[in-house]
Amino acid sequence: MRRPAYHALVLLASALLVGCQYVRLLRPSVLKQLNPDVVRLLNELPTVDDPNEAIVARLFAHGGLSHARLGGDGVFRDEIRVPKHEYIWRPAIIVMERGGELELDFANEDEAFHIALVPSNGNRRMVELPVRQRGKVRIRLDQPGYYWFGCPVSNHAGRGMLGLVLVKGEVPAEAKLDRPRMPRPRGG
Amino acid sequence: MITTREAAVRTALAGLVVIGGVAAGCATPHPNYPITKQGVPLTALNERLAGSAPPVARGVTAERLRNARSEPQNWLTYYGAYDGQRFSALAQINASNVQQLRPAWSFQAGVIGLIATPATYAFEAAPIVVDGVMYVSGFDGYVWALDAATGKMLWQYRHAVPLDVPLCCGNVNRGVAVMNGKVYYASPNANLVALDATTGRTVWAKVFADVRAGESATMAPLVVKNLVIVGSSGAEYGVRGHLDAFDAESGEHRWRRYTVPKPGEPGSESWPSNGLAWATGGGTTWITGTYDPELDLVYWGTGNPGPDYDGTVRPGDNLYTNSVLALDPDDGTIRWHYQWTPHDVWDYDGVNESILFEQEGRRLLAHFDKNGYLFVLDRTNGQLVRASRFGRVTWGDIDAASGRVTPRIIPTEQGVDVCPGPAGLKEWPHAAFSRSTGLLYAPVVEQCATYKLMKTEFREGMAYWGGEATPKKDEQWGEVKAIDPRTGQPAWSWRFEHPIVASVLATAGDLVFVGTPTGEFVALHARTGAELWRHQTGSGIHGNPVTYSVAGKQYVAVPSGWGGWMKGFAPELYGAPRGNTLVVFALP
Repeated sequence: MRRPAYHALVLLASALLVGCQYVRLLRPSVLKQLNPDVVRLLNELPTVDDPNEAIVARLFAHGGLSHARLGGDGVFRDEIRVPKHEYIWRPAIIVMERGGELELDFANEDEAFHIALVPSNGNRRMVELPVRQRGKVRIRLDQPGYYWFGCPVSNHAGRGMLGLVLVKGEVPAEAKLDRPRMPRPRGG
Repeated sequence: MITTREAAVRTALAGLVVIGGVAAGCATPHPNYPITKQGVPLTALNERLAGSAPPVARGVTAERLRNARSEPQNWLTYYGAYDGQRFSALAQINASNVQQLRPAWSFQAGVIGLIATPATYAFEAAPIVVDGVMYVSGFDGYVWALDAATGKMLWQYRHAVPLDVPLCCGNVNRGVAVMNGKVYYASPNANLVALDATTGRTVWAKVFADVRAGESATMAPLVVKNLVIVGSSGAEYGVRGHLDAFDAESGEHRWRRYTVPKPGEPGSESWPSNGLAWATGGGTTWITGTYDPELDLVYWGTGNPGPDYDGTVRPGDNLYTNSVLALDPDDGTIRWHYQWTPHDVWDYDGVNESILFEQEGRRLLAHFDKNGYLFVLDRTNGQLVRASRFGRVTWGDIDAASGRVTPRIIPTEQGVDVCPGPAGLKEWPHAAFSRSTGLLYAPVVEQCATYKLMKTEFREGMAYWGGEATPKKDEQWGEVKAIDPRTGQPAWSWRFEHPIVASVLATAGDLVFVGTPTGEFVALHARTGAELWRHQTGSGIHGNPVTYSVAGKQYVAVPSGWGGWMKGFAPELYGAPRGNTLVVFALP
């Protein structure tokens, strides 16, 4: 009888130590709301977006995140769908390990017409997405940072059809400042 | 006979297979819909917008740029000519007929989707005009080629600008340079892009500053001989300012000149010998320089030291911040320098243009500094001819003849009132020099501010002001001041209820054009300052009007689009109408 009681006590103490928020998360009503894409997004951001992860998470934490795959031809590729009746892009954040070309394959599962308006050096590109059809677009983003894409139809962007292409990396060495390594906001 | 251990391994493997299978089942495959659409450039949807420009820019040689004054029908460089005078010999529109001036055409970009710092974009460009074709840049990565007589868009380039680009004070760009068939443009994220002037397509692109370190770009490149020279922005982020030169044809990097020396280099004695104050020392180069081809010297201004208001972390004069550098364009060597404000703690910069002119046989340079003084220098050697105040100044005194600087008021933790404020008595928008009247015309920001010192910890890519300056908006106004460079005395002044933050244009038609923050484009008489004409453009003017002619007809173009660093020069106008329209005027 003493052993289970001891275990319970340890569990309770641990729960108090790590904070009640975590215990509350285990309620079934909360668990059923957990969006795996968002959980994954929050886990991924610190590695893909230093020092801006807080900003990105506040603005674009819907539809999840995906790392674009680098093909043998040097082009990054990823797939994005428009789920039915949600007004989001899934995933909404596409990560490129470095600048270059990115080919996106959009599929419209919704029952409304959409357009993907995406950034690209030289001119933005757009691809129409009729109902239950796919559209492909190839873009070029050379420099680090995060770039907006969205649906310019009706108020779809305002209702959630906003996304980001997040280009990791740094500017070329010859463009950097000649000075010692300086502290960054996250101590990096 | 199966051992317990083997059984455990088999069970674990079977479990993994089951979990893997379930996981694979959970992943939804991309829908197998037909691929019916391919991406197209945004402008290609409209055939009329996908055109090309006549190859006029191919004939713009280095020789023609040197002699830009001999073709007044064109506006070939940022200031119209290398001398920075912003003066045109065109006189078809003049003091006797300007009342009939009316809009000929307008061009506007509008906004689709999210852009970086949308609340502060402003239309600041100086359009370039070559034989009937206009090349102009907008905010957020836009460059356009337009028919200069009709406004029809010939092509459009849009650089992809990341939302997180560290823009200090506004999503702005001041223009392009043109030579030998190429248009040179510096994007907000510091890419120097060479575009084919007939198609707008990229020929080459080079990165010249580090957005992750807080750098960006806003100025129009300067083409000199076979080089394109560009400057950096970001002194509010504790960067180290620099100029870079690239081969105009190939894009090969030729030289970089830092404006803040490393320990041991000339000028380093003006920085603390210990620590890294030099590494966050600022001195960015965000306004286009001028050029004297005969002396073969480029005159380029440098901005404030970092942090802006806290001088305690950087004792010394802080060379070469707040200075003009006279540079050898071939290798960036500093031939001489003149520091307008040693050890600046008021954000007075030093980037304002140096106007080159001749008087009584002397080669001179005139510079209206943010610190409230008009400096006239001998531009062969940098020696001061005269320093004179052109408005309210309380921060300190500069001796008219010797140039000796005596600071009087520096920011404190309690806060202290200083004139002028952080926008300066003249902000970056440019003055003009009339070859007809011999007068200088300056846009003036009559404003004081409360300066407060606040210790700031440096973090790369984060704002590094070291305090705050709050303009006293109840006691401010604007002026256009005509000043005689021989005496430093005003000839006349035209007053407006808000600070004047648009560049002045002077013409041989005895006219001075200027825009207001509330959108009025105004023509003044160059000899008396009398207001002769005004037109409401719909949004505040914070850019560079230019003039040119096509087929014998003179036009005046002004970018209208309010925004920029309003906190610094017009906080009362945050809510003023915004826009991005190029308005072009002509006689009927």
